[in-house]
Amino acid sequence: MKNKGKFAALVLLIFSIMLSACQLTTKKDVKESPAPTQGTVVDSNPVDIELLGMSSNEADLNIVRDQLTKNGFKVKLNIQADYGSYKSQQDAGNFDIALSSWTTVTGNPDYAVRSLFKTGGDYSILADPEIDKLIDAAGAQTPEQYTETYKQFEQQLVFDKAYIAPLYNSLKAQALNQDVLNKDSVRISKSRSLPWEDVDFKDTSKREKDALVLQSTMPTLTSLDPIKGNDGSINIINTNMYARLVNLTDDDKITSEGSLSLNHAIAEGNSDYYFILRDDINFAQIKNKLAADTGERVGADDVIFSLNRAKDKNSVPDHRTFTLHEHIKNVELVTDAAALEAVKLSGGSDTVKSALEQGLGTKISELVSDKKQANNKEGKYQVVKLTTTEPFPQVLNYLAHQSAGIVSKKQVESINTYDVAKFDVNKDIPYGDQNTVTEGNAYNNTLYTSGPYILSSKNDYEATFYKNPAYMTGTENEPNIANIKIRFIKDADSSLSALRSGEIHLYYGVSETKFDVVKGDSKLALQMVQSNAVSYLLFNTKNRPVAESADLRKAVLYSINQDEILAFYKGNKFKAFSTLSPIVNTGLELKADPAKAKEFLNAYKASK
Amino acid sequence: MTNPTISKQEVRFRLKSNQEYSQASFAGIVSLALGFVLLLNSYVPGDGSFKPAVLIASIAYFAFALLELAVWALIRNDLIRSGAIRRSTRMLGYVLLLSILTANVFVATMAFQLIKQKKSAAYTLAVYSLLTTLLVFAVSALNLFKPYVANGFLIGMFLLIVAAILQLAALLLVAKHADKAVMPRWMGLIAGILILTSVSGNLFALFLGLLLIAKLRDKGYSSGSKLGEVVERLSRSSTSMLGLLFILFLLTLSITSYLTFDYGLAIENNYSLILQSPELAYPLGTDNFGRDLFSRIVFGARISLAVGLLSTLIPLLIGGVLGAVSGYYGRHTDNIIMRILDILYAIPGILLAIAIIAAFGASTVNLILALSVGAIPTYARTMRANVMLVSTLEYVQAARAFGSSDRTILFKHIVPNSIAPMIVKSTLTIGTVVISTSSLSYLGLGVEPHIPEWGNILKLGSAYLETHAFTAVYPGLAIIALVLSFNFLGDGLRDALDPKLD
Repeated sequence: MKNKGKFAALVLLIFSIMLSACQLTTKKDVKESPAPTQGTVVDSNPVDIELLGMSSNEADLNIVRDQLTKNGFKVKLNIQADYGSYKSQQDAGNFDIALSSWTTVTGNPDYAVRSLFKTGGDYSILADPEIDKLIDAAGAQTPEQYTETYKQFEQQLVFDKAYIAPLYNSLKAQALNQDVLNKDSVRISKSRSLPWEDVDFKDTSKREKDALVLQSTMPTLTSLDPIKGNDGSINIINTNMYARLVNLTDDDKITSEGSLSLNHAIAEGNSDYYFILRDDINFAQIKNKLAADTGERVGADDVIFSLNRAKDKNSVPDHRTFTLHEHIKNVELVTDAAALEAVKLSGGSDTVKSALEQGLGTKISELVSDKKQANNKEGKYQVVKLTTTEPFPQVLNYLAHQSAGIVSKKQVESINTYDVAKFDVNKDIPYGDQNTVTEGNAYNNTLYTSGPYILSSKNDYEATFYKNPAYMTGTENEPNIANIKIRFIKDADSSLSALRSGEIHLYYGVSETKFDVVKGDSKLALQMVQSNAVSYLLFNTKNRPVAESADLRKAVLYSINQDEILAFYKGNKFKAFSTLSPIVNTGLELKADPAKAKEFLNAYKASK
Repeated sequence: MTNPTISKQEVRFRLKSNQEYSQASFAGIVSLALGFVLLLNSYVPGDGSFKPAVLIASIAYFAFALLELAVWALIRNDLIRSGAIRRSTRMLGYVLLLSILTANVFVATMAFQLIKQKKSAAYTLAVYSLLTTLLVFAVSALNLFKPYVANGFLIGMFLLIVAAILQLAALLLVAKHADKAVMPRWMGLIAGILILTSVSGNLFALFLGLLLIAKLRDKGYSSGSKLGEVVERLSRSSTSMLGLLFILFLLTLSITSYLTFDYGLAIENNYSLILQSPELAYPLGTDNFGRDLFSRIVFGARISLAVGLLSTLIPLLIGGVLGAVSGYYGRHTDNIIMRILDILYAIPGILLAIAIIAAFGASTVNLILALSVGAIPTYARTMRANVMLVSTLEYVQAARAFGSSDRTILFKHIVPNSIAPMIVKSTLTIGTVVISTSSLSYLGLGVEPHIPEWGNILKLGSAYLETHAFTAVYPGLAIIALVLSFNFLGDGLRDALDPKLD
């Protein structure tokens, strides 16, 4: 009885499924394979392609892999755990396309292309005379003129020759604990690093006794000599340890605000630049692990020394930033006030002198050569004149970069006594060596800093900074918080947890996937601004099929669908066309086109 | 009510020695717990309402749990009163069988046990093989709700139904005939068909087929085959049978998924479906690339099982041979082999795996090799100890006295008698291997990140633990369930294979 009933139930089940099968859609019904094009016999085998990237960009790699796979490629992933191994794979040429990113920290378009795409540039693997010509031409032009030139450049770089395939432009996002910090005191800027001196506690009575705790992922600091490093481990630190001649505003305009200069002026011809210096910054040093005033004023001799060593490739071993300053021809002290009066401003009828005096309490009565003599209240100033090799207004952006930080002539010369040509890493200790500030036997802090803060000591867990006691005291630029600590937390999720638990107060670089979490936490505030960071695919230029065949590169280019990337990031990324996109709007846009991708891929197969 | 003439000890003995009694309480309590879990899941804290589908499932689980506990009380009553379960109580098993419609395997397996008074190994295997096929069918049928199904879906489902019917027929026949001392000859045909259905990965059917054939050939001369004994002992522990059921369910699902599941849904990004909550079309939701988590976990089982089994089998074979040779020959052979293995043993296993993968790149083959190499010494040590023990036994001496060659003695007489601890050890270590695979993938050192592997899925999900917890919870549960299953099975096998427990 029971068995019969069960059989009946089963038969019923089978029938019902068979009936429903009549309406089932299978994959074949949904994805009709396209009819082969008439006439030509095309090889339908997928084309092998190797994609190199870092595991931190796994999501991007997966999107690109997916898009390429859907457009007839067979993607081999080469995922490296950290930047070091990624770079060595890239240098060894073990890739067809490398997922790369670039942040224009100076906020000017020249920097976004020069070292990346010009023949012989720091990070360039290209060698194309037409590209070089356009980069140089645009560099000498004013913003009104260069948009058209950069448009031609982008047309060449992306559409015509497909040296890169752009992916997206990112947001810069930071989250802060608004219960502890005064939200309005924390700036977020497009290019410049966070100015620590502005940050303040909500409860201002905490300024002296409580430490502001920030976060960084890299406990190994490249160098505390500003010209010897240009990477994430030291950019924010060196920006806050050394003052510069000019600064960038939050939207990348040049300003003297909060910098060593009171005012600056561009002389007629765009080759001469004048800076009038403040007299209220002294170098700080570390004594008994605490910050102390050296009593030594930051003056014109230090500026001249610093900029000369910044542009000179041979001033230090491992000079990593000289290309940024290659346009500097000469830096000199101006002692004749009358000379300032004789020079006209660029694009104006005013004199440089009046431009430099603008807003000053006391007009220039005398220009002094000895920095100790300078006294702004009495009208005794120091003025520095910088000359460029060719008319190049963007030089000011480079002067706002951390590598143009002002160091002490006296101190650096007394530490760097070695011969640069015969530098021995094992014996010689250069100024700013991270070992001299790391706790342990090698600790011997010889830093002299011109900025608002000075690094006292560090270990693998955290770094401790103290406020420079003689930095613009009494002005609004005087640092608010006496003590700053940077916690080294490698993992992004742990950093966010540390912020939420109150262990750190500010977390820079929140990823898009965590925005919801931050917004959902009432004690946190999220700050965002469009950044100058662009992600793109870089094609190999040696020993690979992509190096030879523009068709193959274009097939990849047209496979990239930026809309899908934006959808993945829920609109928290922007479209980009090249590394210039966040700075210069050329109006060009990459649209995914599977038909074109296929066409180029077939052309490549036919040419093989 | 209670019979005053029996002592307390006797009551306790009657209850303890009865399988149905302990199984009923286990099944009842587990169903009750699952009912609670479902009830909690059905509650929507936002507006204080309940999700109807989950609530119904929860009620069904509660109903069967209460029924089960009622049956448990009846069994207890019967046992205390008469020392045996009454027919009327056993008839309740048919009602409990309905629980299979709610996918409650705990109550269902108990029901099958309850229905039949005298349970043979063949009956148990037949029940479990049918259950496995039905579960796989039900899980595959969830694909019907998807926008489209795989090209082979209809064929796959049809074959599954055919297998289920055949296994049901086998179950009924086995229930009727298998207890007889001499089975009818046509049972051989049934055995053949069962073995044929086991290509789906349903090894229960394979075991049953082999068991029936052994019984037919035996013609009732001996007390039963070794396999039958092991299955009978293993089936006494409901946890280890459930473990085996889950493992074979996954194995069958991984094999049938070639027909019934669409790989595209698991691997192709779909940006219009990012992070969807679980619904019928996507039973476990979708991940941050819009891929169906359900399909990903099903395909992930394939890799987890393959890597788990292969990286256990390889060191089992290599370590087994090395251990056997060094244990049998002793002296210098032993010293050389074991010292070399000691060096290998001194390197932490997971570190060695990381080093191998870092050197040769991340791929499934390298992953299997990396996990295998580090495990060789432990297998060799176990085997060596067993071989040393067995080779001193008298029958080995006898074989030697007859002039058998070393090779014959070692591989014919010693190895088969020292293999049992190795089997137990390997089932227990598979769980560890599954975890290692997932850990390495989680660290980005396993298989490529887009490949659906449980560790990979968990890694992606862990970033959304707070906002979309399901992306991490389900792969995590899958890993836990598989590892637990292997551990339970290993425990059961240890008891079943241990001659000292006879």
